Amino acid sequence: MVHLDHLYRVGFHLAKHQDEAQELVQETLVRALAACDQFNPGTNMKAWLTKILYNLFFDRYHQRKRWISTDDPAYEESDYWKGLPVENPGPESHVLSRELNAQITDVLRRIPGEFRAPIVLVDMGDFTYEEAAEILSCPIGTIRSRLSRGRKLMQQYLRPYIGSEQERSKRK
Amino acid sequence: MTCDEAHELITALVDHEALDPERSSLEAHLKECAHCRFALEEERALKQAIRGAGQGIYAPSELRDRILSDPRIFPGKSRPVARWRDYVWPIPHLARPALAVALLLAIALPTFVFLKSRSEPIAIAALETYDLFLRGELPVRGTENTNEIVEQLTRAVGGHFHPMGYDLTAMDLWPVAGLVREIDGRKILVAIYQGKGGTIFCYTFLGSEADAPPNAARFFDASKKKMNFYAFSSGGVNAVLHREGEVICILASEMPMEELLVLAQSKAKPS
Repeated sequence: MVHLDHLYRVGFHLAKHQDEAQELVQETLVRALAACDQFNPGTNMKAWLTKILYNLFFDRYHQRKRWISTDDPAYEESDYWKGLPVENPGPESHVLSRELNAQITDVLRRIPGEFRAPIVLVDMGDFTYEEAAEILSCPIGTIRSRLSRGRKLMQQYLRPYIGSEQERSKRK
Repeated sequence: MTCDEAHELITALVDHEALDPERSSLEAHLKECAHCRFALEEERALKQAIRGAGQGIYAPSELRDRILSDPRIFPGKSRPVARWRDYVWPIPHLARPALAVALLLAIALPTFVFLKSRSEPIAIAALETYDLFLRGELPVRGTENTNEIVEQLTRAVGGHFHPMGYDLTAMDLWPVAGLVREIDGRKILVAIYQGKGGTIFCYTFLGSEADAPPNAARFFDASKKKMNFYAFSSGGVNAVLHREGEVICILASEMPMEELLVLAQSKAKPS
């Protein structure tokens, strides 16, 4: 499935829960089929599907104020990385990489959705600012400023994990 | 330009979205401001880490089953899916247009992508794997054992040739995976390097310099290696091709073309 992993990845970080992410992707495909005459062959199918997914998420979750902040008692720690099978754990670097990935997933859940969505689209989805702006229905300048502020927020959480060796050792 | 003004522009620079004249102003500021140079380095590292974290997340098989057993997507098939081919094979039952689109979305397109005959140069076609890999759409089982990668790839071509194995640790790049791609009956060995230095793909296959795309820029290294290098780009990925005997090697990366050329020149061995 060409875009399935991508859609799940976006849904996973928007909805924050695996079940909800699966439901989002499934409903996205249903909506895409219902609206397939609106897709222009030769245009960006990945962006088209992602926009459907985002709109679906927005309709279902955002309007129900389901953006969960870190202060929200309903917030749950990510169990995705903990749930991965521990097969072939590999050398230390592999383990550290898994830990970093888990940290990034958790930190993404902690930052407000308005910052999270552009980061997921641009950094994980490899969309351009223009494509991300089209998907999120906002100006390109907004994408840039939210990415900048969102990454700053993430850096605050991830300083101990990301950066030059020199800088990390200074912090120790 | 002040550091505050530079912050958003650094984000755009990291994303290759900075345009002149902002880009020029920022680059001038970066030359003078160590603080912003550090911020740039830190943001690049963060972006790379976020991308890496995303690549580790795949749609679970449970989701694929849910989709395939959803009657709204596959009408008349509401029972749980036992096997993929049960649904791919009975095409005569799948007559409705919506279902055809579903198949295109869900199953047929990747098959088409991987099996279609190529009219484009093999060097360009090979670069598709780079894009697919970065988008997390290329299932690759990684390993950190370089010898294992080399052995697997060499075995895949019956020992007729070996993947180009470069030591890129000085660039903070490490071999992470290998795969074999077949295009128009020709096997291409792909070694993938990743690290803080970014991502580099190294393609190796039997061929000649005629496999370079017609619009590639040819550079002849007259001073040291006395050999040709062909530089070309496709889909935002830069690539440099050179020949060592009967083997063609292509290094592909998002790094600037000048740096990639220097890297290829430093690693190439004249025939």
